[in-house]
Amino acid sequence: MTTTVLRRIGRFLLPLATSLILLLVIWSLFLRAFPQIGPRVGKTPSDIWRYLVTAPGAATARQAILDDLAITLRDATIGFTVGMLGALAVAALFVLFSAVQQTFMPVAMLLRSVPLVALSPIVVLVFGRGTAGVAVLTAIVVFFPALVMIMTGLREAPRQAMELVTAYGGTRWTRLRMVAVPAALPSVFAAARVSVPGALIGALLGEWLGSGTGLGASLVRAIPMFQYNRLWASIVVVTVVSVLLYAIVGVIENLVLARFGPSAGKA
Amino acid sequence: MNSIDRRSFLRYSALTGAALGGAGLLAACGGSSGSSSNGSTDDGSKYGKVAVQLSWLKNIEFAGEYFADSKGYFKDAGFGAVDLIAGGAASTSVEAGLDTGKVWIGLSAPQTTAPAILEGLPAKIVGATYQKNPFAIVSSAGKPITSPADMKGRKIGVQDTNQLIFSALLAANGIKPGEVTVVPAQFDPTPLANGEVDGWVSYVTNEPITLAAKGFANSHFLFADFGLPLVAETLTVTQNTIDSERDKLKAFLIAEIKGWKDAVADPAESARLAVEVYGKDQKLELGEQTKEAIAQNDLVVSASTKTDGLLSMTDALIEQNIAALRTAKIDIKAEQLFDLSILREVYAENPGLK
Repeated sequence: MTTTVLRRIGRFLLPLATSLILLLVIWSLFLRAFPQIGPRVGKTPSDIWRYLVTAPGAATARQAILDDLAITLRDATIGFTVGMLGALAVAALFVLFSAVQQTFMPVAMLLRSVPLVALSPIVVLVFGRGTAGVAVLTAIVVFFPALVMIMTGLREAPRQAMELVTAYGGTRWTRLRMVAVPAALPSVFAAARVSVPGALIGALLGEWLGSGTGLGASLVRAIPMFQYNRLWASIVVVTVVSVLLYAIVGVIENLVLARFGPSAGKA
Repeated sequence: MNSIDRRSFLRYSALTGAALGGAGLLAACGGSSGSSSNGSTDDGSKYGKVAVQLSWLKNIEFAGEYFADSKGYFKDAGFGAVDLIAGGAASTSVEAGLDTGKVWIGLSAPQTTAPAILEGLPAKIVGATYQKNPFAIVSSAGKPITSPADMKGRKIGVQDTNQLIFSALLAANGIKPGEVTVVPAQFDPTPLANGEVDGWVSYVTNEPITLAAKGFANSHFLFADFGLPLVAETLTVTQNTIDSERDKLKAFLIAEIKGWKDAVADPAESARLAVEVYGKDQKLELGEQTKEAIAQNDLVVSASTKTDGLLSMTDALIEQNIAALRTAKIDIKAEQLFDLSILREVYAENPGLK
């Protein structure tokens, strides 16, 4: 049992660690490939290490970015929670009442393709420039892909198992609870995993166009102020945090799915 | 306890190798295309094509450039083509454009150029189109904001590129950043008109006029009157241009001066060029732009430009700017930021331009 769990988690984390190292390599090579970017605009990994860790003002610089990050993480968490819960609730509703699904699923698919940047002025007008506005923008990023993925998972419930429940006099609700939900777990987790970076993007966007606080705002403001160290450092911090959160969700996913056997959730 | 089997490990290693190889290839390709865009002479002209980064959207703020381009002053000066690149609410700064070789010259402002120079960018301001600081806070006539102190506890719309000058205004007037709520803004002042914000950072030549034309009675105060007598729309180039392309820069400045002389003399034509030619995609309003062009002349022409010529800066004005930057906590020396010697040479060699 422990071996299975460790094996699953290892298989998930190893490529992730490799790709992080790869990112560093690509970053360095990219700057070398485009030397016209120059040393003041294009910062190397070692520049950022110096800026955040070893330079004399590093503590202040780090604190400023971490303060902004705290706001961004709060915004992303609220949006992620609202979006995921919303997607789960709507997916359950769709599965219980197929008429609802047939009516609204195409609408959901259509809404998914509305660019968020175009939508943001309206969201900001309706929900304000505070946490609510940013949370709504983030929730929209999370909701639609999650809904589509969860729906796919719920639909993949084994027909025989469903029919068995019906044959024993089970209701639609029992079918959902005993067969469809466990069958959809891999999709739910996959949706959660994919939505973590999405939630961060939504929060950054909301902060840039809406609230004017957090990393989303300070990132963009660093550009006209020529604070490229800060810009690159913020990008690094967001990326690392995003990968870490992705990894955490992935580890939880593997812990849970390992209960259903070594290959549960693998295609 | 072999938690990762050898096969999958090999697979990941192979992937890594492939990606590394690809990145290496990228590096190899990049090496040959790393030429700077300081102008080529493929078109047979003396100085080739240059890119000019404007500080804002294409409205009458760049009327001098429109005249210099449309009347052929740039061509006469030896330029094959001059590419006027519009700026915007969150565009890349002139300084970054200069640093990466994307532009040859840019219209910026001392408070934007100075931090970049302090970060190590070898660049200088060689001329100033606006002699006075055009920045203002516009507010509704019903709830006017007439001084920086009035902004306390109010919501002010600030564009990303103007965060710096806004912080400077606060610093120069002893207001803490937390005392004013900054709302991120784009170029469209609708949030002020619909009451979402109480104040709006703008050019005195722009939003007060466009808002009034749309029936929104407004009031404003100038940054210049509250500790920030900064010049604006400053021509910024790299030190390399000053040192090794002095003649090209002089030729450009001559065309600029001619263009701005025409623009000052004919605000109606300035507006037409902005509305019908260069800023056509923005559907600007001719009447508003004409009023703006007339208002703009007060910023471009001053008592000293009448004797020293347009774009020039007296030593006293330079000192005022350095002092204003210091109140905004930007500590820079005059000789680090300004080099007016090229412009002075231009006027000495061409006295007819004044």
